[in-house]
Amino acid sequence: MKNWLAVKAVAGRELSKVFRQRGRLISSMVRPLIWLLVIGSGVGSMLQGPEQEGYLGFLVPGIVAMTLLFAALLSALTLVYDKEFGVMRMMMIAPIEHYWIVIAKLIAATITAMVQALMLLVILALIGLVEVKIALLLLIPAFATAICCAAIGGLIAAWSKTLDNFAVIMNFFIFPLFFLSGALYPVSQLPELLKYIVLINPFSYGVDLMKHAVPTATSDFSIITDIAVLLTFSAGAIVIACWRFSRESVHEPLFHRASKKG
Amino acid sequence: MASKFAIQASGLTKIYGQAAAVNKLDLNIQSGQFYGLLGPNGAGKTTTIHMLTTMTSPTSGEARIADQSVLDDPVAIRASVGLVFQDSALDRMMTVDENLQFAAALYNLKPAKANQRINELLSIFGLEKKRHVKLVALSGGQRRAVDIARGVLHKPRVLFLDEPTIGLDLPNRRAIWRFVEQLRKQEGMTVFLTTHYLEEAEACDRVDFIQQGELQHGGAPSSLIRDLAKYILEIDCADTEAVNQALSPRFGNPVWEDQHLTFRVKDKDVDFSELQRSLGQSVVSMQWRRPNLNDVYLWTVCPPETGVVT
Repeated sequence: MKNWLAVKAVAGRELSKVFRQRGRLISSMVRPLIWLLVIGSGVGSMLQGPEQEGYLGFLVPGIVAMTLLFAALLSALTLVYDKEFGVMRMMMIAPIEHYWIVIAKLIAATITAMVQALMLLVILALIGLVEVKIALLLLIPAFATAICCAAIGGLIAAWSKTLDNFAVIMNFFIFPLFFLSGALYPVSQLPELLKYIVLINPFSYGVDLMKHAVPTATSDFSIITDIAVLLTFSAGAIVIACWRFSRESVHEPLFHRASKKG
Repeated sequence: MASKFAIQASGLTKIYGQAAAVNKLDLNIQSGQFYGLLGPNGAGKTTTIHMLTTMTSPTSGEARIADQSVLDDPVAIRASVGLVFQDSALDRMMTVDENLQFAAALYNLKPAKANQRINELLSIFGLEKKRHVKLVALSGGQRRAVDIARGVLHKPRVLFLDEPTIGLDLPNRRAIWRFVEQLRKQEGMTVFLTTHYLEEAEACDRVDFIQQGELQHGGAPSSLIRDLAKYILEIDCADTEAVNQALSPRFGNPVWEDQHLTFRVKDKDVDFSELQRSLGQSVVSMQWRRPNLNDVYLWTVCPPETGVVT
């Protein structure tokens, strides 16, 4: 592939930054562990009988999916970071079609998310919350979910001009995607209106696919439905993000800002 | 047969909203030429570069780099040009080596070839010892040098330098020009420069002035300077009207800035000491000097008839 070196370089730059910031990598485990151990135990204690026993197990796929969502989305948003800090221009002037930059960034986002999910699963296996064979099995649906999350991140990044609206991204995308996905409670127990929102949320199908790998978690859709939705959504979102990113008007503020000087 | 022109543009226009940033620009820049596009902030220099390097598409008109249309195959155009942006495009948290290796990979240079080229360029720029230092720890001049090295890693046929010395002090500016000159000599590339430090463009083979998106006046710097005047006479006046009345019939209209009048003197046999004596108390101080490109700009792009320097 003609652009392989460039794609490898763009993805490699992201990954080297992730692995260099070991503190950040380790701290990324804090959020899912708090959810599992604090919220999971707290909410679990309010449940009765077998539901109380199984709630932590039910929560595991959702919390692993949450780790994938945060990691992939934040990694994909480096597209916006690079635009804002000028490094994107180094990539834009390179002799590659601009959509390769998006593809490389999304590959890096997927790998970053998988690394964090793997770290979490190792911790969960070590503290006995997940059996090793289930942890290994979870990696397969986690990969499909990571691609979907990276694609969502690519879509958001392709429409974001600056990182000023990071809080907006958190409040309007990341939290609704997570809370309305069935990660914390079975979709069947949600009010009707929320059920419809869960159905149109592609992340729900990633969470559901992961639930299929955990015997104590009840899934809401079939494996075929989960895979079909994840594949279709991810492919569509990546194509739209690439198209959007390749449009000159997206970058004109980046260059026009400089043009105004001279 | 390959064209002798590295850059050609015909009726090149870019309109943002209602305003023409560049208006019907025609350019014919020969291969190997050192070309300068000069003008004030907002004149359209950077927009011109962005159109020629496929960073933005023209509203109308066409442009060719090394005989290839910028509209037909932008990827091929980007392979044959290098662009050094006004402000750094490098990652400040990465080292010099990491930045250059990253740029080399973007240009599809294999690691061995990239390493060889990076060694070569760091040696030209005197940055061998800074190879593994983060960009954030370098001086402004060193960072600019790395930016230029990034722009020429792939040995482009045409190098675009957009205000390459902006914000640098004099020693660093001089160093950058030495590097560019060395690169031109070694690699024979065509260099397209924009700057508003006009004195820096005197080394160009040809310069054009651009104002409000339109080319105004151009030529070889030496002939533009020669054609302008033999001397530039600057006078701080106690009585500007008296000095103007006494000298404008002989030297033409001056450039007028408050109490300061500037005349161009085409006659090489003027006795300035005698002239100063004849003006008496109307003059506070007077100096005469050889003209330069700043004077060409002042007199041709911003002539005294249309208003004076602001």
